[in-house]
Amino acid sequence: MTTDRLSGAVLVVFALLVIFESRHYPLGTFRLPGPAFVPILLASLLLIFGMLLVFTSGDAPRISSIRWTEWHHAAAILAASVFAVFATERLGYRLTVLLIVGFLIKVVERRGWMQTLGLAFGLAFGSFYLFYTLLRVPLPEGPFGF
Amino acid sequence: MVETLHNLYIGFAVALSPNVLLYAFVGCVIGTLVGVLPGVGPLAGISLLLPASFGLDATSAIVLLAGIYYGAMYGGSTTSILMRIPGEAASVMTCIDGYEMTRKGRAGAALAVAAVGSYVAGTVSVVALMLLAPPLASFALRFGPPEYFALLLLGLLMLAYMSGGSILKSLAMATLGLLLGMIGIDPMTGFFRFSYGLVELGDGIGVVPVAVGLFGLSEILLTAGQPTPPEVKKPRLRELLPSRQEWRASLWPIGRGTVLGFLIGIIPGSAHIISSFVSYAVERRLSKHPERFGQGAIEGVAGPESANNSATSGAFVPMLALGVPSGPIPAVMIAAMMVHGISPGPLLIAQQPQLFWGFIASMYVGNVVLLILNLPLVGIFVNVLKVPYPLLYPSILIFCVLGVYAVNGSVVDVGIMTVMGALGYVLRKFDFETAPVVLGLILAPMMEMSFRQSLSMSSGSYGIFINRPIALVMLVVGLALLVLSVAPWLMKTLDWRQRFGLASGQEK
Amino acid sequence: MREIYSSNGLGLHRQIYFIFALLILLLFLFGLTAESFGQDSFPNRPITIVAPFPPGGVADLTARPVAAAMEKVLKNPVVVVNKTGAAGAVGMSYVANSKADGYNLLMALSSISIIPEADKLFDRKPAYTMDQLIPIALISADPTIFVVNADRPWKSVKEFVEEAKKRPGEISYSSSGVYGTLHMAMEMLSHSAGINLKHVPYAGAGPALTAILGGHVDTLASGPAVVIPHIKAGKLRPLAGWGAKRVASLPEVPTFKELGYDIEFYIWAGLFAPRGTPAPVMQKVRESVKQSVNTPEFKSAMEKLETPIAYMDAPEFEKFWQKDAKMLADAIKRIGKIEIPEAK
Repeated sequence: MTTDRLSGAVLVVFALLVIFESRHYPLGTFRLPGPAFVPILLASLLLIFGMLLVFTSGDAPRISSIRWTEWHHAAAILAASVFAVFATERLGYRLTVLLIVGFLIKVVERRGWMQTLGLAFGLAFGSFYLFYTLLRVPLPEGPFGF
Repeated sequence: MVETLHNLYIGFAVALSPNVLLYAFVGCVIGTLVGVLPGVGPLAGISLLLPASFGLDATSAIVLLAGIYYGAMYGGSTTSILMRIPGEAASVMTCIDGYEMTRKGRAGAALAVAAVGSYVAGTVSVVALMLLAPPLASFALRFGPPEYFALLLLGLLMLAYMSGGSILKSLAMATLGLLLGMIGIDPMTGFFRFSYGLVELGDGIGVVPVAVGLFGLSEILLTAGQPTPPEVKKPRLRELLPSRQEWRASLWPIGRGTVLGFLIGIIPGSAHIISSFVSYAVERRLSKHPERFGQGAIEGVAGPESANNSATSGAFVPMLALGVPSGPIPAVMIAAMMVHGISPGPLLIAQQPQLFWGFIASMYVGNVVLLILNLPLVGIFVNVLKVPYPLLYPSILIFCVLGVYAVNGSVVDVGIMTVMGALGYVLRKFDFETAPVVLGLILAPMMEMSFRQSLSMSSGSYGIFINRPIALVMLVVGLALLVLSVAPWLMKTLDWRQRFGLASGQEK
Repeated sequence: MREIYSSNGLGLHRQIYFIFALLILLLFLFGLTAESFGQDSFPNRPITIVAPFPPGGVADLTARPVAAAMEKVLKNPVVVVNKTGAAGAVGMSYVANSKADGYNLLMALSSISIIPEADKLFDRKPAYTMDQLIPIALISADPTIFVVNADRPWKSVKEFVEEAKKRPGEISYSSSGVYGTLHMAMEMLSHSAGINLKHVPYAGAGPALTAILGGHVDTLASGPAVVIPHIKAGKLRPLAGWGAKRVASLPEVPTFKELGYDIEFYIWAGLFAPRGTPAPVMQKVRESVKQSVNTPEFKSAMEKLETPIAYMDAPEFEKFWQKDAKMLADAIKRIGKIEIPEAK
């Protein structure tokens, strides 16, 4: 199983999903296209591309050759980002940043407390000052007054 | 001519007055800051500071806002080159070759060429704006939905020239981007498409979260956990400036980018975003060594950066000459003018000469200020690379989140960025290019809308695309380009058959 | 995370994990249950006015002078925040669903009545309903005016209607979007005059204006402020206005009512609060708005924008809003879903 075959197959499935989901919206005609017209057109194109990819990828590398060694860190970063989505408006910007940076530098990167706290506080309060106070970009404040 | 020079003299007198000069400077600095921040582009920057400009007099306010716009375009290239994070949607193309140059230790050269190219493009386009504003604006107004559709189709066809790797994969990615652009309210009928109950998706997935996610976030996802830190050669002081060869190579791309960007910029709508994509494609097509693109070709930085700066001035042409809100940014500028009691319209230039000429002059001044600001900053910015990566990437993450959040004050955008980051990570593992997705996402809503508007205007007849001269010309050019790109492949096939025929002929 | 566990055994890093998790949990719980302090004296925190449209638009430009004036009157910061999206639905639903403590107000345009109706039309769960919001005050009400491209021959509404009857479905108009305010206005005209026009929707009032200036459509319904410069320059010709009275800066332009069409349409901007806001708070807010619209700075700011002030306090505004909403609801039901012919 090569990378191209797998990705081609995924694209085919996705295209079929889109076509299926588009059934809710009217199709219209060639003269007066409806909301589903262009999505179905594009999805059909994607379907063709996906199938071409599946059938013509002779010389693509095998799946097993892809290396995922860095996925631990990637997962941590994604988790931090997801946390930001839910926490920013509930805990406030600065607290969220503190937690995220603290987590990434202390727990994932295993650096010392000095570096961790320094960078965490620096980033959280520094960026807040720069963008909220100086540039008037609205950034949420948390329930503790900061 | 004499009158123009006289007016320009008035304009400079206004622009160089200490007050106005101060605001131009402040605008440029703020703009650079805003541009450096990932995601927050010129529109967000201007919108955020619009209220601050209400207390100033009209000329200072406009100069401030224009300075922010310009500064953001300059600043956007910085993060693109240094960290492969697009400062705004238009800087996406700079990420590709700019970052490769950074990895080869040529970060300083890339930044310098970007700054100089932006300066040249900015200045030349301001001159063009000054001399050609009214006639150009009338021409630009003739772009209606059919012309717009033809232009965007042309932009999409350019895609074929953009990609290094497999064309099939790039086309698939572009289609994916186009499909992502379908999410949101269908403007022609009011249906909410693919939004699954999330009101925030009503306007579709924003370009900014997708660009920052696909490029910036995916980059740190890929590099953070690498056992050895990313190979970034630290440049020595001497190597900060481009070599003579690099300057020579950048000359023509800067020139072409300037012209291309300006022409695309004057067209009403958000077409100016695609100027950098088109410029990249053109440079790649015209280059004698296209395989260098994607590995750190300086033309891939010089062209797009010049194009998006001159598109900036181009965007002001319809606004200043005719009072037409030719895009979201000119619309905000028009609002700023209206708050000060100035109604922009065709008579603006005649009735408010100090505003117009002061504005023009301040753009010259702004460009100089930005060049002076950015060149020494090259040295400073490059030092950012010296920070150990384990400390750098959390900072990058924070700035990405901040930038994306700041655009709309919406955590949904941050969520989109996260999803796109994960997607970009997987795509790059599977050897897909991510730039076509962004291009597709930008083009899709505009293309679909102009397509259906055109059919609406013609009551269903497809002839409208052929009956209108501008649209017809662009479609023909597009077709020609398509044929040209397919031709080599076609030739190879014919050639093969011929050779086969010859061989079997010989065998007999 | 193997590296994290392997080196120091279970000790230090597990503990850190645990503490972090506990901390985060505690903070979450705190955050979810935090009471707002000091409910006694309103206001003691910055008040937010949400403008559900991008900066530079009518809602935004009206909200800012109001915020500035209220700030002076209340001696308390009042900030304008843009929450854009979905033709205003994002910002409107945000305020409709926010805490009713008087710190989150909405500056909405007449489209506030349109969006829930449109949602009903499409069998969608509405982003918000109109009873989630209570009116505070009406600030401005721009009568829409009907302009045609100056190259077109019609010099009066009568000529225009005659031509439209001769060529149904051919004369075009642009709008800011399907079911938007500009579309609604034209729809009411079409119904009242018994004509059939071609609608070409655009993505916003700006592009709609650009379209008529470029001659790609024939007519447009628009707020007066943005088209007056073009009228003066001779690019657009005003034929009539949807107001009850003639527009002050265009005294020779008749109203549709004068010409015999019983239609009235304003693009109005008003302040709203979430339902359930306590009465004393509402009273204070209404008072401050009443004072704000009378300050000289506010008056001069609105004058510069060429937008007349049309202040109405809550009770009158409520009546106005109900009447306007009913009219719009009827128009939407009449338009129905845009006809999409079945694919053969």
